[in-house]
Amino acid sequence: MILAQVIVGGLLIGAVYALFSSGLTLIWGMMNVINFAHGEFVMLGMYVAYFAFTLLHADPASFGALAAVFLFVLGVLVYLLLIRHVMRGPMLAQILSTFGLLLFLRYTAYWAFSANFVTLPEGLFGPSLNVGGILLSAPKLVAGVVALLITIGMHLLLTRTALGSRFLAVAEDRQAAMLMGIRPDRMQALAWGLAGASAGIAGALIATFFPISATVGESLALVAFVVVTLGGFGSVPGAMLAGLLVGLIESLSAYYFGPVYQDVLVYGLFVLILWVRPRGLLGKA
Amino acid sequence: MLLSVRGLGMSFDGFAAVSDANLEIAERAIIGLIGPNGAGKSTFFNCLAGDLMPTSGKVLFDDADITHASPEEHARLGIGRTFQVPATFQELTILENVMVGAFLRHSGEREARAEAERVLELTGLAGLAGKKAGTLGTPGRKRLEIARVMATRPRLVLLDEALAGLTATEVHQAIELVRAIHRTGVTLVIVEHVMEVILTLAERIVVFNQGRVIAHGAPSEVVNDPAVIDAYLGRSHARRAATGAGPSRGRA
Amino acid sequence: MRPRRATGWVLLGAVLLGYPLVFSDAYYAQLGTLVLLGAISASAWNLVGGYAGQVSVGHAVFFGAGAYLPLLLYKIWGWSPIVGFPAGIAVSVAIALLIGLPTFRLSGHYFSMATIAVAELIRILVGNWDFLGASIGLMGPATPRAWWDLVFQSSIPYYYLYLAVLVALLALTFAMERSRFGYYLRAIHAGERAARSLGVPVRRCKLYALMLSAAFSSVAGSLYAAKFGFIDPNSGFGILVSVNMVLMAALGGAGRLLGPLLGAAILVPLQITTNSLFGGGGTGLTYILYGGIIMLIARFEPGGLLELWDRIRGRRAA
Repeated sequence: MILAQVIVGGLLIGAVYALFSSGLTLIWGMMNVINFAHGEFVMLGMYVAYFAFTLLHADPASFGALAAVFLFVLGVLVYLLLIRHVMRGPMLAQILSTFGLLLFLRYTAYWAFSANFVTLPEGLFGPSLNVGGILLSAPKLVAGVVALLITIGMHLLLTRTALGSRFLAVAEDRQAAMLMGIRPDRMQALAWGLAGASAGIAGALIATFFPISATVGESLALVAFVVVTLGGFGSVPGAMLAGLLVGLIESLSAYYFGPVYQDVLVYGLFVLILWVRPRGLLGKA
Repeated sequence: MLLSVRGLGMSFDGFAAVSDANLEIAERAIIGLIGPNGAGKSTFFNCLAGDLMPTSGKVLFDDADITHASPEEHARLGIGRTFQVPATFQELTILENVMVGAFLRHSGEREARAEAERVLELTGLAGLAGKKAGTLGTPGRKRLEIARVMATRPRLVLLDEALAGLTATEVHQAIELVRAIHRTGVTLVIVEHVMEVILTLAERIVVFNQGRVIAHGAPSEVVNDPAVIDAYLGRSHARRAATGAGPSRGRA
Repeated sequence: MRPRRATGWVLLGAVLLGYPLVFSDAYYAQLGTLVLLGAISASAWNLVGGYAGQVSVGHAVFFGAGAYLPLLLYKIWGWSPIVGFPAGIAVSVAIALLIGLPTFRLSGHYFSMATIAVAELIRILVGNWDFLGASIGLMGPATPRAWWDLVFQSSIPYYYLYLAVLVALLALTFAMERSRFGYYLRAIHAGERAARSLGVPVRRCKLYALMLSAAFSSVAGSLYAAKFGFIDPNSGFGILVSVNMVLMAALGGAGRLLGPLLGAAILVPLQITTNSLFGGGGTGLTYILYGGIIMLIARFEPGGLLELWDRIRGRRAA
């Protein structure tokens, strides 16, 4: 049942796409800023996992947590030092800021770790499983399931907790939120931390089965753009749905057209969405 | 009638911000639009300006249906507006700001510049022509917005709280400015919170409450209309006004 | 024109015209040529990114199209690369419409994301299409059949060719600044909603700016292909090409006539120096530096060096 395997594999990777894209769409919805360096956050999460394994001989189960902490801090720092100051200024400054960050992070990694790919050894989570005739690699399975759980967790955090409603209040109306005693600055910094953490975890998860290199962020960022656009402006459930869809489409196109054209198809899909339904699946008109 | 509004309604996700609003505005009139916060007057205003598309009803300008026309089309037809929070072009100079308006009617730079200079004279900003708009304080930016929209040679100007947040002297100057532009022949629709301003300037006042027009007439009539007093101050005051009783002592 | 201003222009003109006569050795002539090429592509970006404020971070797609077409037409039919110039412009403008038509009715981020996506899309497609040379790329005429093959031994003819194009582009930009279109672009950049309320046809203006920008970026690409006689997916469509265009304009001063030229004059020599100082690892360091510079510009002086200069001068006068 190769096709079933392709589908399941696509959904699993799609769940990871959903995870890191949720962070991106959260920031977008809250502050109207697109983090062009988001792919690099994922890339750094991958390297955290790699070095956790090779230098610290840490247990694979801890990769995600370590990456989350590291990238949470980075996210908050980026907000405090950079984003906060360009947020309400001209579009050029906003876009340049995260674009500059992209270059800075990518090429620092490139310079520090060279252009070579590294990989974590296979079988970190045990052998492949055979579920009803479908062969599933353990790391992929773990990645997909964990990603899905965390993304759902994020959605619940936003919609069911007091913290979440404070986030949404800031996104909705900054002035009103301030009048209610919410501190937008703090909420926004936290949102950046969360976005960083979710990207970091996603990176740590993919690192177990995906080649790691400094430039990996390039295509991941574009996937994130497609997912957040397809999902709809600021919608985390939209990003979840869109992530799964994009993962599925990518997997199917790799199967039918070969791996080279899978990217082309996804980017082409992006252009199509812009033409036909820019508000995406769950965005407001 | 220059502007006719018939049965205008605007609903957001089932919430009716404006229902069944009717209004007829003659050329050269000055209409005041008032109402408590959340009454729907801003929504109504934005429907007239083309920023929002009404969910029901019609807006006719000079007998042309502009209900679904874009803001750009509104400007071309001769309807201009200012913004509640001044939206001047901060990095451009004052003269350049007004020139952007003037370019609607003049395609060449020289003519647009001449027109802009003329408007700056009219609005008292001539001395500041070369300064960047960002250097102005709020009253100056409001004045600039008015100048800029006047350069588009509008027939109808929608002023959105053009006098909010001004000191007494500034209000006085602003009223003079509004009178000056009215003298050039434009029709005005003014949304305002500052009561004295509306009462001084407007020939007719339209009062909104909870999305509907609750009163419409000369300032003196509207001010004493029980429905209006009720909307602003509460039922007890309305009752007192209706019975002509004096101020109460103690409880309402 | 005031006497001091006129002197400035004459001086600049003299420097630009006389440079290769003074610095005629191969290294410096090539350097000058590269600065001019950088200035052309950055000035092209500036039309839509600086003046209209629509930030494209994938402008390489237009540059690459302009670079590939002449070499492609030479490969298939042996035509002079000059024929490729208008062909490149046509393709670039078509791509501009593909990107701009849907995104200019949405918020600015969509446009920026779309530019990266389309640039990458085309880079991958071209890199896998044998007809276009796949990852190896295309080559132009090695030995010239006549002057119109645009193959010259020294950099100097290229220098003057590039200079002519730059002057044309800057003259066009200068005229545009003073036209209704120019004012409208700046209004769109300064406040779209207000611009709309004044009758500015926002979407149409953005499209025109993008089309114009794409056309000139394409010309820059064609000029590059003419000189270097070679193009491949990365040197044509790579993200670093886009980065260079943006940075040169933004460093010098986005939305200013001479900003891109200033930025090119600083960055091109800088890049060549860091590349030679650090050898192979130079690429990494150069772009770390670029990233840092871009962040600093965004954070402290989005108007670039020219704006900074104005601000310093203004403060002294005050």
